[in-house]
Amino acid sequence: MLPTVKINSYQFLVLVILFTIGTSILVIPSALAANAKQDAWIAAILGMGIGLLIVWLFTKIGLWFPNLTYIQVNETLFGKWIGNIFSFLFIFMTFLYTAILLYYSGSFLTIHVMPNTPMAATNILLAIILVMAVRLGLETVARSAEIFIVIFFILFFILVVFIAPEVEFKNIQPVLETDINKIFQSSLPLIVLSAMNAISLLMIFPAFINRPRSAKKYFLIGNIIGGLIITIITTLCILVLGSDMTAFQKFPGYELAKKINIGNFVTRIEAMMAALWIICLYFKMVIYFYAAVIGLAQMFQLKDYRPLTYPLGMIVVILSLVIFPNILEQSVYDATIDIYFALTVCLLLPLLMVVVYAIRKKQLKKNSDHA
Amino acid sequence: MLKSVGILLVAAVILFIEVPPLLEKKYKKELIVFSILLAFGVGLGIAYSFGKSIPNPIDLLTFIFKPLHDAITR
Repeated sequence: MLPTVKINSYQFLVLVILFTIGTSILVIPSALAANAKQDAWIAAILGMGIGLLIVWLFTKIGLWFPNLTYIQVNETLFGKWIGNIFSFLFIFMTFLYTAILLYYSGSFLTIHVMPNTPMAATNILLAIILVMAVRLGLETVARSAEIFIVIFFILFFILVVFIAPEVEFKNIQPVLETDINKIFQSSLPLIVLSAMNAISLLMIFPAFINRPRSAKKYFLIGNIIGGLIITIITTLCILVLGSDMTAFQKFPGYELAKKINIGNFVTRIEAMMAALWIICLYFKMVIYFYAAVIGLAQMFQLKDYRPLTYPLGMIVVILSLVIFPNILEQSVYDATIDIYFALTVCLLLPLLMVVVYAIRKKQLKKNSDHA
Repeated sequence: MLKSVGILLVAAVILFIEVPPLLEKKYKKELIVFSILLAFGVGLGIAYSFGKSIPNPIDLLTFIFKPLHDAITR
């Protein structure tokens, strides 16, 4: 029906890595350090482990029907009406996250890089390339991701090497001072951002990949690599800035880059490092938007998804401008409401799918044999 | 005022790009969904440019999940 392009497993791996890192690299250290203090790095590893379990569940769900996207699986399992309601929830979530990420990038750029530019200008610019990427299709996105991942890892390597002299080990002592419950609690935002939201990748995972069975392990590996990078960044933030400073900052990763000072010569290279976050943010946004657009097209059973991109892009820009009146409201939303919303759509619904699939397994098998 | 004229111009450009190929291929359903979404976008845009408050999905989510959050954290 819709697009017939297929990406290979390596391209999918790259997309998973960029998706997992996404916004987490910028904001997660402060969320982790808020409760877990100097044990934030333990929280990051814990979050990574639990996240891996959830991603494993998603791969299981994806491989039930190797030719269908998440929306179509919904319809097959729950029937037309209930399936469409669940699909609508999913599309609503991905669309909302596109707007939220656009807000993130806009607020990051207007706070740190271009303070006198109105947020609408940066958002419109980013939305134009967002719409462009989705119109050009998944293959173009995947290929550009292959190029950008190299730049990403070079910049990341530079950041880690250059910040190494600033490390102070007394910042993470004493280890494991925090209550284990608190550590678990503070790893929740990481699980939500990196693992649960990976349900959007189910729009790509089985249907648009040339060998879905081998791609399953790349889904998990990509998640591990992304989780490791977040763990490294969090650990560095704690080691260099200290836990209080990390929790206090809005974008601790950016503050980290500001600390770089090699012999009073290599200093203030944070603008270069901003490229890191923008690359990740952009690809995560593209995947969300792609999932929303394709999802909508499949829900209405359209033959082409491209006509939807411009109007939806327009709505996303306006939504990103009104969605949070100020940064405070955004951080309250991220810490409370977003977690419940993501738990409902990204964990409760898939678990419900597992139950329904277990009940209807035989009947579905029979249907597919006849078809 | 100027902003809403700009939004209408953008909408006109989008219509000009999208509609002819759709008519040519006789994609009726696509055209309907596209028109509804575009009308929605233009409506939101003009309302925003006049400084009207726009229904915020976050408020809806807060309305739904806030009682749950209060019940759990209490």
